[in-house]
Amino acid sequence: MYRIRFHGRGGQGMKTASRMLGTALFLEGFQVQDAPRYGAERRGAPIFAYVRAARDPIHERGVIREPDLVVVADDSLVPVPAAGVLQGITARTVMLISTNEAAATWRDRINFSGSLLTLPVETSEQAELRFVGAASAGAAARLLGAIPRATLEAAVREELSALGEDIIRRNLEQALDAFDRMAEHAGCVNEGTAFSVADAKAPDWVDLPLDEADAAAAAIHAGATSVEVRTGLWRVLRPVIDYDRCNRCWWVCSEFCPDSAITVAADGRPEIDYDHCKGCMICVAQCPPHAIAAVPEQEFAEKTP
Amino acid sequence: MTRALITGNQAAAWGARLARADYMPSFPITPQTEIIETIAGWIDQGEMDCRMAMMESEHSMITAAGAAAATGVRVFTATSSQGLLYAMEMIYGVPGMRAPFVLVNVSRGLQTPVTLEPDHTDVLAARDSGFLQIHCSTCQEVLDQTLIAYRLAEHHRVRLPVIVNLDGFYLSFTREPVEIPDPAAVDRFLPGFDPETTRFRAGEPLSQGVVVLGSVPYSYFRYETHLATLQGLPAYAEIAAEFAQAFGREYGALETYKSDDAEWVLFMMGSFATKAKDAVDRMREAGWKVGLVRPRLLRPFPDEPLRQALAGKRGVAVVDQNLSMGKGGVLHSELASVLYGQPDAPTILASFIGGLGGRDIAPEEFFEMIQVLRRAAEEGRPPTPRLLFTADELREVRKLQAVAHAERREELK
Amino acid sequence: MSEQIVTLYKRMKDLPSARLLGAGTPMCAGCGGLMALHEIYDILGEKTVFVNAAGCMTLLTVYPFTPFRGSWLYTSMSSAPAGAQGVRDALDILLAKQRIKAEENLDVVVLTGDGAAYGMGLSSTSSAIERGLDFLYVCYDNEGYGNTGQQTSAATPHGARTSTSTGARGFGGFKKDLFAIWAAHRPAYVATVIGSEPLDLARKIEKAKAMQGPRLIIALSPCPTGWDFDPMESAEIGHLAVKTGVWPLKEYENGVVTHTKLPRERLPVEDYLKKQGRFAHLFQPQRNEALIAEIQARVDAYWAEVSI
Repeated sequence: MYRIRFHGRGGQGMKTASRMLGTALFLEGFQVQDAPRYGAERRGAPIFAYVRAARDPIHERGVIREPDLVVVADDSLVPVPAAGVLQGITARTVMLISTNEAAATWRDRINFSGSLLTLPVETSEQAELRFVGAASAGAAARLLGAIPRATLEAAVREELSALGEDIIRRNLEQALDAFDRMAEHAGCVNEGTAFSVADAKAPDWVDLPLDEADAAAAAIHAGATSVEVRTGLWRVLRPVIDYDRCNRCWWVCSEFCPDSAITVAADGRPEIDYDHCKGCMICVAQCPPHAIAAVPEQEFAEKTP
Repeated sequence: MTRALITGNQAAAWGARLARADYMPSFPITPQTEIIETIAGWIDQGEMDCRMAMMESEHSMITAAGAAAATGVRVFTATSSQGLLYAMEMIYGVPGMRAPFVLVNVSRGLQTPVTLEPDHTDVLAARDSGFLQIHCSTCQEVLDQTLIAYRLAEHHRVRLPVIVNLDGFYLSFTREPVEIPDPAAVDRFLPGFDPETTRFRAGEPLSQGVVVLGSVPYSYFRYETHLATLQGLPAYAEIAAEFAQAFGREYGALETYKSDDAEWVLFMMGSFATKAKDAVDRMREAGWKVGLVRPRLLRPFPDEPLRQALAGKRGVAVVDQNLSMGKGGVLHSELASVLYGQPDAPTILASFIGGLGGRDIAPEEFFEMIQVLRRAAEEGRPPTPRLLFTADELREVRKLQAVAHAERREELK
Repeated sequence: MSEQIVTLYKRMKDLPSARLLGAGTPMCAGCGGLMALHEIYDILGEKTVFVNAAGCMTLLTVYPFTPFRGSWLYTSMSSAPAGAQGVRDALDILLAKQRIKAEENLDVVVLTGDGAAYGMGLSSTSSAIERGLDFLYVCYDNEGYGNTGQQTSAATPHGARTSTSTGARGFGGFKKDLFAIWAAHRPAYVATVIGSEPLDLARKIEKAKAMQGPRLIIALSPCPTGWDFDPMESAEIGHLAVKTGVWPLKEYENGVVTHTKLPRERLPVEDYLKKQGRFAHLFQPQRNEALIAEIQARVDAYWAEVSI
């Protein structure tokens, strides 16, 4: 069975990418099981998707514990523990990352001895990132080796059939280009084997202790604990204030920010809380002297997990 | 016939479409909303001749469903969890009208706390209502059982609404290969709706759902509904045989997997039962004589098939993905009541609670459950009921509690 | 307006500077509802208990995270006002029996989306107003069942595309007039607000906060996900909702409805409609002049009734 995990952000087309691959495998006569998993189900928030494919009916379900292939559409997710990119990877896992950095850099960074392949990200334009999924799907198809080029095309067309021909064409270009690019690695992903009784360790079951009602209820006995959630990780664009242009207009950016992520100091200087700013860009749009610029987040990203 | 890769929700929608449902009172709730969206899209495109009514709540939705069925049209509707519970007054109310329809429930755990993930506590809350219940474990089964459910509901000796259950996320949003039967073949299997004499039209005065004063008639009417649900067992067998003839897929009241010669049996419902099949295969490879029994029919509860399937087994591990507060696993209690006092009843009946809120059940947990049965059989007494939960998971919860300032002050003994 | 309004909020710089609602919630980037909510919370403060009905904002609190510095109670989709009744009554009992101190009192605030407010929550709201419940009710209205993927609700406007109205003409129904329904109960106060008009919102919340009895607010909430637009346009679309007259800013008090913003020259509604993907079918593949005109006519008819 092939067990494949896709990682991306909401809005990057990763669910569609996993479905492109699932459909391609289905068209090639495989039994397929694919599903997306959302955390917050919002644009920018990390999501992942599973694809399983085998010649016999598939009985496994849920979490893919030992993926044969991990496809990462957004390299900024790799260092994020909550995104689970590195969960269960072994020396035989093939990793495919959409990134402009070298494979060797990634291998060192995450201390990975297996096969790590990269797909260049052609652009950092937010709109264009929507096609990252198609490229990932195309590359993944080639790495499995079981999907001919024509089948990939059919699968892409089928998944996007509700959208215009223009969108289909652009996705196809990305998918087929990536498929071709991966020629020398064709078939490097091998089907994994099932988990045997001999391999299994007894589960570390516990008897749940009886806890007091106020701790055992889903109740939060503190205020504003949400600040511990770094929604700043959703951003693909970052607002940056040019303090020379900012006229301390008092509150416009701060008032409109839905997420309370812009505070204003006593002297009227607004400060953006990048741990929480989701990159909606309302402040950029509303700032009267246009003192806030939208800068791709890639330029600020930390790479080391 | 078309073979397609579709989600459980889409399979349910196809079931409604092929059944030529006339009317769909609706209300959105995660994880079933894709069903009504798919059907709404088909209606908008002129591909399905069905009227959709977006209701303001599930209580109203089930009221409309029962009322429309009682008027004489084929009705389809869908809900989950909190929605099913909001409808509960009418879930208990409509069966007594003896008007058939199909309700697809996409199972989801109940509040409090609120979750979006699946378990069976929601659909089991309807088990005493008079609705029949069919439980699916694959997307193909969802489509097929929806068609079977209409035949079952509309069967002359039944005439009751039927719930078809599929698990949220693991089936609802998961794509699997599904054969979509040819509409003409379905029309032969499931002809147009015949309301018999339960219908509203001028010239045929009918007073439905009326008050009854006096415990004698009340007892009569209530028990008759119960007798009708019991008819579901022979009716289902009859209909499933026809279905197999027409479409080539067999659906017994029970699914049994490698259980004929098994000593130890896993007993569970729903999509996670396929994980149990996988575990059974691994254990068989290791030389263990293990099998799976999965009830498809939950109401009526398939007493006699269960007695036969489990006779002579050394132990049964019941995995309940549900929780009756103050009692434990529902399937465990129901199975015990069927086996009590029977000759050849399994010696050990063990209760495990797993998969609450969609919590995964790992292969090694299935293996260990069988080990628990073995040890219990050797000791000669049943193990205490167990929640499948690990030390790592408890540590995870403690971390969350720390953030929530929900410190335990002392351990309650 | 006939009387001089005495308010703390005369200019933008009078608005509260402290951001009380915690960051880190999973609302979509650019959420118009969250914009209004944080502005409201900054004024109401932490001596509040928010009683919530199912909707997008139910996910404000996901264990163990909450953005509230005050309190929160989730009830069910239909019964939040009944939950508010229970909390308010209990607090009043505790105060009367001196089991809590006056400074421990909380204001009770119902928070629901349009799905609950315009639909299944009407019964419990009607009854709460009838009982004279002393509470504030805030409805964030994104014109659909947002949390389940934007299906039509009773608040969906005519012609809008939603996931259950995908045909060429969009939604065939009309937006329910919840303001009029609430006002017909003659509560203490009803008002419409929008996050993109923070000063108007602040004055209304300040006023409502100082009153007793049932006080109900509807906040139009531009929704990037459900209305299909880039999050950065959220405030601009709010401005257009007001400038085109689609979203009248008004209040009800003592039997009288007063508009707090009277657009002198209303922009054509299409300026508002064409910025949103949910109305794209009105313009592509060709303009649906009849439907655009119909929408314009309804807006015109509304303002024709409003006396200057």
